[in-house]
Amino acid sequence: MLEAKDLTKKYEDGLLALDHLNFKVEPGEIFCMFGANGAGKTTAINLFLGFIPPTEGTALIEEIDVVKEPLKSKDYVSFVSENVMLYGNFTAYQNLDYFSKLAGKRNLTKAEYAHVMKRVGLQEEAFDMRTKNFSKGMRQKLGIAVAILKDAPNLILDEPTSGLDPKSGQEFLDLIIELRDKGKSIFISSHDIFRAKQIADRVGFMLQGKLVMMKTKKELKGEDLNKLYIDYMQEHSGAE
Amino acid sequence: MLRDIIKKEIQDTIMSPRFVFTFLLCTILILLSVYTGINNYQAELKEHSAAVALNRKNLEGQQSYGTLAGLGTKINRRPQVLSTVVSGIWEAVGRVAVVNIAYDPSMIDSKYSSNPIFAVFGSLDLTFIVKIVLSLFAILFTYDAIVGEKERGTLKLALSNRVPRDTLILGKAIGGFVSLLIPLIIPLVLGLLILMIYPNISLSGGDWLRIGIICLLFLLYLSVFFTLGLFISARTTRSSTSFLILLFIWVTFVTIIPKAAVMMAGQIKPIPSVHKITAQKDAYLQEIQKEAMTEYKKFSDENPRPGKDKPEERERWNEKYKEWAEDFQRRLTGKIDEKNAAIERDYQAKMRQQQKLAVNLSRVSPASALMFSTMSLARTGVDEHERFLNSVKMYKPIFTKWINEKMMRSLNLSGGEQPKPDLSDMPQHEFMPERFGESMTRVLPDLFLMVFLIILFFVGAYVSFLRYDVR
Ligand SMILES: Nc1ncnc2c1ncn2[C@@H]1O[C@H](COP(=O)(O)OP(=O)(O)OP(=O)(O)O)[C@@H](O)[C@H]1O
Ligand SMILES: [Mg+2]
Repeated sequence: MLEAKDLTKKYEDGLLALDHLNFKVEPGEIFCMFGANGAGKTTAINLFLGFIPPTEGTALIEEIDVVKEPLKSKDYVSFVSENVMLYGNFTAYQNLDYFSKLAGKRNLTKAEYAHVMKRVGLQEEAFDMRTKNFSKGMRQKLGIAVAILKDAPNLILDEPTSGLDPKSGQEFLDLIIELRDKGKSIFISSHDIFRAKQIADRVGFMLQGKLVMMKTKKELKGEDLNKLYIDYMQEHSGAE
Repeated sequence: MLRDIIKKEIQDTIMSPRFVFTFLLCTILILLSVYTGINNYQAELKEHSAAVALNRKNLEGQQSYGTLAGLGTKINRRPQVLSTVVSGIWEAVGRVAVVNIAYDPSMIDSKYSSNPIFAVFGSLDLTFIVKIVLSLFAILFTYDAIVGEKERGTLKLALSNRVPRDTLILGKAIGGFVSLLIPLIIPLVLGLLILMIYPNISLSGGDWLRIGIICLLFLLYLSVFFTLGLFISARTTRSSTSFLILLFIWVTFVTIIPKAAVMMAGQIKPIPSVHKITAQKDAYLQEIQKEAMTEYKKFSDENPRPGKDKPEERERWNEKYKEWAEDFQRRLTGKIDEKNAAIERDYQAKMRQQQKLAVNLSRVSPASALMFSTMSLARTGVDEHERFLNSVKMYKPIFTKWINEKMMRSLNLSGGEQPKPDLSDMPQHEFMPERFGESMTRVLPDLFLMVFLIILFFVGAYVSFLRYDVR
């Protein structure tokens, strides 16, 4: 379970990037956070991972305060960053092996690595390739494979579909649904309303650091999310 | 966990193109330098024995002790076997000292003076390669150790796991260091192996001990730059910035500080110029002349010269004057010599002070510390040069005494032919190379300085990384 309680971040330059953010992602739930560039999505994720300290409020992973117990909290979360970069001199296998070991998974076999890479849709020729020659999408897939192998109860993904081709995008959605059905709490930040709509159990709209709207799947039924989003954004930015 | 990080760091470096490049270049340079070192040493050794034999022949060919005294004997310095790894200043200072009854002995005929092109490029000894090339490699290996992983995003991914930051930096430091050592140690061991099995190069146990400590100093020196690289890479947000800063520090350490130290020492502890010394001597001479005038006046006032009409008294006065004048002359020359010697002593003392200050100031830079300490160990530095020169200076009176006695005796024998010099009892110049303990006392400060810098930079890197913004 992921939970933000009045999570607030004010950067050193005075910019209020996150303003009293509150949400909860239950086990077996996918929460999609939408927002324009600079809305504060990555900031929220960085707070959850302890990369930056919050100005106010708390971020909880499995009810562990990430500020108080930064190391312990990381056992319970997998992370796929916006722009996955890996060790370019390593092959896909070697990258998976290293990061899995860091995640505490020491006894994985090559077959298991291959299995996961297949599942995320990485072509077999790429398994033994140095990742410096990987495309953005291929790196993205490998990043997702790293997260899957960690097998943590919570998943945080920052714009995970941004580099994926349509087929891979669809495969990715299937994968996420499969993970949700296994009971994982999944937080996705995205611009990709079209795809996210298909899987989200709940969506949130972010505007200048504030979570301005939250809707469940049920409430969204029949609504055009895309239109809703754009209308909402226009309305609010017009109001300010 | 630590093991995984170390392993990854080594693998990552070894598979990078810069590793292959470094390894190749290190191997070529180190082997080349050992090879040229050995060649130079053997050439010097040959030249040395030829020069010694020539000197012997020359001495034996002299017709009389008189000519021998004027010609003097040539003291040829034996080449140092460790100059194969640290050539030091020995190529710049002379190899030969002429000891005769006339001049103060000094070292002449350096390798540079016999072939100035050597002076332009200097020698490619192992210390040079470590000081310049390998330290650059150490920077090349670490400038992006932290900041590079941040830029690549791998730091974020790693730290989204239960990985304590201190473990991560420790792993990176150890792994990075090991992968820096591989391209250094392998060719170095090869080079030493060549040194060991090469014919005509005999290294004693003491020499090996010295080589061992020289290698330790190399290691420390490279660790300084390695930890510095780690430190700077944990304090910057872009690897290009990190590289520029490191390059700047490297230039400062390797070239600016040593030169600035010499200039500063010249400012703080100036030594009088040659002109000034001459002027000083001239002034004293004038003073003495004035004194001579007054003394003479005093003498002639007290002892008026008798008139022409008293030839007997006049004769006595002449005698007395001659006696006085001789004595006076002796006193004056004695005074002048003493004064000149004092000026010279003062000059030497000031110069030594300045040198010492320059050396100590420049030691802030690990590059200078490396130079001085390895030269001390190889016995190819300033101190050993001075010790040698002193031994020659000490030999001079011994030689002079011997030759003077011989000359006196041959004069007493005089009459017909001058006897041919007999060299069998000619005192020989002896020189004891510096003992290990004494060399070490001069090495220790440099060693401690490097250890201090390593600790300082590592702690800096460590603390900086704990607070490093990984985004
Ligand atoms: N270190 C920082 N110092 C100051 N301001 C920052 C810093 N990092 C981010 N910001 C600002 O905080 C705001 C939120 O940035 P954030 O990266 O969270 O947006 P985002 O929603 O992830 O945008 P995108 O969709 O482009 O990824 C932006 O205005 C950004 O300029
Ligand atoms: Mg973002």
